[in-house]
Amino acid sequence: MSDPVSDPVREREAPFFIGWATIPEGLRWFLGGIAIGLVVLLAGLSYLTAATQDDPGDGAFMGRADAVGLLQAAPYPILHVTQSDSFAPGTALMLTGNGKRGAQPQADAFDGQLVAVSGARISRGDIIALQLRGGENGISAAPEQTGASLPQPRDLGRWRITGEICDGKCYSGAMRPGRGLAHKACANLCLIGGIPPVFVATDKIDGTEFFMLADQDGGPVTEHVLNHVATLVEIEGSVERHGAMAVFRIDPATLRLAQ
Amino acid sequence: MESAQTLLMAGQVYVWIGLAVAVVFLGWGLDRIDAKGHGSWMFRPLLVPGVILIWPLVLWRWQVLARENDNLQNRHRPPLTTQRLMGLGLVLAIPVLIAGALLLRQDGPLERPAVMLETAAETSSNE
Repeated sequence: MSDPVSDPVREREAPFFIGWATIPEGLRWFLGGIAIGLVVLLAGLSYLTAATQDDPGDGAFMGRADAVGLLQAAPYPILHVTQSDSFAPGTALMLTGNGKRGAQPQADAFDGQLVAVSGARISRGDIIALQLRGGENGISAAPEQTGASLPQPRDLGRWRITGEICDGKCYSGAMRPGRGLAHKACANLCLIGGIPPVFVATDKIDGTEFFMLADQDGGPVTEHVLNHVATLVEIEGSVERHGAMAVFRIDPATLRLAQ
Repeated sequence: MESAQTLLMAGQVYVWIGLAVAVVFLGWGLDRIDAKGHGSWMFRPLLVPGVILIWPLVLWRWQVLARENDNLQNRHRPPLTTQRLMGLGLVLAIPVLIAGALLLRQDGPLERPAVMLETAAETSSNE
């Protein structure tokens, strides 16, 4: 009995697939099965991959918005709205720049002053960010309003909180997902660029689970948290209310991975 | 941050060495291993990015050709001899890596309550 592989007659008669040629009769069912099998397999894999992802939340860009309010430059730029068609008075807006840049350079000159801001609204639940337009289109001095002053910080005590450090812009809805390991590099680049870090806690304090992070003196804390972004961590520090914005003044020495 | 800086530094060192290799190889070494390259200069700048990218391979091939040890039959032998082993290694390593990443990744605590360490009054009295 001859070996079918080395039998030149049988080898010549064996169907041979060429991409651009008519499919040989003997290969039609085989190739059809492979094609359908691949579609089913890839569709199943796609479904399983998508189904095992965490819900990215409902945060998104919500269109153009304008507001007038009092600007607080530290730890990161916050606008306490006094007048706006888009936001209720008292709303605290986290201000950011375009792309991965913070709004600190634009905001510093207006610390404590009444300003008019304009930009793209990004919101997710009760956390709202405003991506400022460039230059004076984004932020400019507004006429004085009687009785308008920055809200006094209200001390809520010292806490140990578990949660994740995210960048405020992506978490608010600029990216989906805006949290978790898959987003770690993006979050770090945003934070390095000056976007405010926010702490998304596993528990609510004074009705909120979002906290803008600050150091113990109330200043920016970005450089101390970069190695701990996107994982669940435990931090100790004091929580304050600055109007509608909760600020978590952390002690970076207490920062550790949550076990 | 330190890990990122180390990686960036390693990448920069690799690129600078690659540039040095490109200058020496394209300016001097190429003529000694490829007779067809004599007197031709315009194409050499086009090779700079490629040399920077794969300079270890360029150095290896350069020394093989310079010592006239090259054997056309053996040219692709090292990759081919290990190809089967590498394929098998990947078949084993990829599922182990994915399963390991899924098993070792942090999974909670997602609902740990916040702990009050000091009340507002205590905090202000300590300051």
